[in-house]
Amino acid sequence: MSAAGSAPGARGSAPGTRGPALSVRDLRCDFADPPATALAGVTLAAAHGELVAVMGESGAGKSTLLRCVNGLVPSLAPATCSGEIVLGGMPVLGRPAGELAGHVAMVFQDFEAQLFSTNVRLEVAFGPGQLGVPAEEIARRVDAALRMVDLDAYESRDPSTLSGGQKQRLAIASILAMAPEVILLDEAATDLDPVGRRELYATLARLRRERMTLVAVEHEIDPIMGADRLYLMRRGEVVASGPPAELARDPALLLRCGVRPHDLSLLSERLGIELPLDVDAAVEELRRAGARQRTPESLAGVRVAARADGGRHHDTAGSARRPGSSAPPGSGGQPVLEVEKLTCTYGGGAPAVRDVSLRIGAGEMVALIGQNGSGKTTLAKHLNGLLRAERGTVRLDGADLRTVPLERAAQQVGYVFQNPDHQLFAATVRDEVAFGPRNFGLRGAVLEERVQGVLDAVELGALGDRDPFLLSKGERQRLAVATVLAMAPRVLILDEPTTGLDYPQQRRMLDLLVRLRAGGTTVIVITHSPWVVAEYAERALLMRAGEVVFDGPLVRLFGEEALLRSAAFEAPPVTRVGRAFGLAVRSVDELARVLVVEP
Amino acid sequence: MALSLYIDRPSVLHRRHPVAKVLAMVTLFVATFLLDHPAAIAPLTALVLFASAAAGALPNLWRLRWIVGPVFVFTLVIWTLFYPVPAGGAVARGEAFRFGFGMALKLETFLATGLLFLATTSVEEFAFALTRFGLPYRAGFVLTLAFRLVPVFLEAALTVVDAQRCRGLDFTRGRLHERIARYVPVIVPVFIGGLRRADQMAFALEVRGFSSGRVRTSLPRPRPGLGDWLLVVVSAALMVAYGALWAHGIGRIVPG
Repeated sequence: MSAAGSAPGARGSAPGTRGPALSVRDLRCDFADPPATALAGVTLAAAHGELVAVMGESGAGKSTLLRCVNGLVPSLAPATCSGEIVLGGMPVLGRPAGELAGHVAMVFQDFEAQLFSTNVRLEVAFGPGQLGVPAEEIARRVDAALRMVDLDAYESRDPSTLSGGQKQRLAIASILAMAPEVILLDEAATDLDPVGRRELYATLARLRRERMTLVAVEHEIDPIMGADRLYLMRRGEVVASGPPAELARDPALLLRCGVRPHDLSLLSERLGIELPLDVDAAVEELRRAGARQRTPESLAGVRVAARADGGRHHDTAGSARRPGSSAPPGSGGQPVLEVEKLTCTYGGGAPAVRDVSLRIGAGEMVALIGQNGSGKTTLAKHLNGLLRAERGTVRLDGADLRTVPLERAAQQVGYVFQNPDHQLFAATVRDEVAFGPRNFGLRGAVLEERVQGVLDAVELGALGDRDPFLLSKGERQRLAVATVLAMAPRVLILDEPTTGLDYPQQRRMLDLLVRLRAGGTTVIVITHSPWVVAEYAERALLMRAGEVVFDGPLVRLFGEEALLRSAAFEAPPVTRVGRAFGLAVRSVDELARVLVVEP
Repeated sequence: MALSLYIDRPSVLHRRHPVAKVLAMVTLFVATFLLDHPAAIAPLTALVLFASAAAGALPNLWRLRWIVGPVFVFTLVIWTLFYPVPAGGAVARGEAFRFGFGMALKLETFLATGLLFLATTSVEEFAFALTRFGLPYRAGFVLTLAFRLVPVFLEAALTVVDAQRCRGLDFTRGRLHERIARYVPVIVPVFIGGLRRADQMAFALEVRGFSSGRVRTSLPRPRPGLGDWLLVVVSAALMVAYGALWAHGIGRIVPG
């Protein structure tokens, strides 16, 4: 270990020197309230220095598994557990979490809930201080941990002023200073933007080099392709385990476990050729296998689009599914929203939105993308009047939004917040949906009809009498959309509607948006997810430092590699493979239709 | 949203031991409290302002100018106008003004002293000093946590308000009881969100060893040094001196 970057107080020995760092055998866990079997005989092992990934649908038991390992279950969340958990030779099942602190540590999804101090250095010192580590040793560990996560330049900063990625790295430093043998990560990247995720994965790569044992629960398959082993869980059981590259070759298995398959494994299946799950290697393999575009005759119905750089791309995206996908911005119909030279500055700092002008037409499906802090939410809040334009104008159907009361604007331009729990309060699902239209004067049979219609549209029709807080995250997210849809808006803005959902839930949410759009609703989605943008949007607005740096059809955006890189956004793997063959594609289906492998 | 008034600077006052700073603050409060005449309080005000400038704490006074300014004006006006009239006599206008001015200076000195303390002492140091005076560790920790979390909860509450306004909730319409009832859609999500977060925090605290049962330690803290003793002795001497003036009736204004 290098002195500068070594894990503080590391106790892990070299792999294989004293058995597995973590061994779980036939772990069962039953909760009493509400009664549920969370784990039904899980077996898992992680050797010293290994990265083990756990994936599966929501409710598969992934988080419960981690919480059993660090003692939170059953000590803080009462449950009946049986089986065996051995941590570095020490049986731990049933031991209180406080007793296991220092042996096993955990990074949570919500970075705000795991930071307690008003200063980065004190935050890192908190854990070892609770364990009674001598003062001088704490200082040494704090220095080493901060260096390890590249936060040594921030040691005097207030944690609340750090970015999401930095907060998550601080959380890692805080547990590193406790010198654990095993680190558990419970969807630690879920709430981060692409930059934050990249920072987090870089930190995890460093920890692996330092031979830390890591067990990570993840929703996306791409980041864990380098893991030593992947466990796929479903309904409390491990249904498959093995090297990620091997399991990723079985898209049907992943789908069964609620995991989105890797683009390139789907492409392999479609083309009937085994491709490496890395874009460059896959392109090389395709070339070696003689892959080429189909003949023009076989491309009947596939348009050839002019590229921004003067080259030509086969734009397959036009396909029947998305008419008018390469239409110029704002031409999706009559402009509903018009923004002119909008600039917004908070508290005298740099503008959060700078000189933005755009038009959004009726019935468009627009993706608003860019890293955290780029101004997406500020711009979106101007579009429904939550924020009033100080400089520039925002018009809804030609009327300056400054002159339209928020209630009226919000009725026309619905806004679904990222966290559904920020708006749910009623005793039943039906009351929750009725709240908005009732505020606008709807009563009686008309209201009931509207509520039922909306609930049916979001596939919650049978749950009208349920308590909203007892729904799953995916159901709550769709309920949040329903509460806004009930006001019959012409434009729907959704702030990261797929965050925290598993793949089937994401698909249901996105298919709902497609149906809404087909019914004439203009949809604007704020998202960090490249595949969501690629497969569902027609037009992209890319923001960087408050400016819209790209406004146009997706096929053109994915051709602007330097621009995407500068905004920390990356096209999905299949799009990048397509580009290597001069094709502007947005999904595996599209690429498989135009690419042929003929040795 | 920054709630903390701490300003991270390497000043002489920042480097003082937190216990010494708490003692100095308390003695300054007492000294300020004892006398009423502006001429007696002004040196203390000047001392605190000078220390604030030296410690780089003046921005806090500027940040809270909307409190500091009105407090001075209102105190001066109210105490000057309502200076007690002796039975059957008239009050000299100058004396009433002196008393009002003294009270205004006194309150401003209290404020400035408190702001200076908070600008030079982090919440954790403050909590540590309180534990030295016998406050249980957990109570000190709650104080720290409040400073960290109040902005987080406020932000969540503002988001909830925005979300409900987007659903047509208007807080300005109707009678009082109707307006109060309209806060239910805000209070419930904030409360439920708070409970969820508290739950997650409890988990995170346990994982960080909060209930490990071991004797707690912390980063090395410098022991009280000559500078700390000097601070305590000088401020104590100041308090004693003002006490002596008070005992001799100097610098006091007794209304009526």
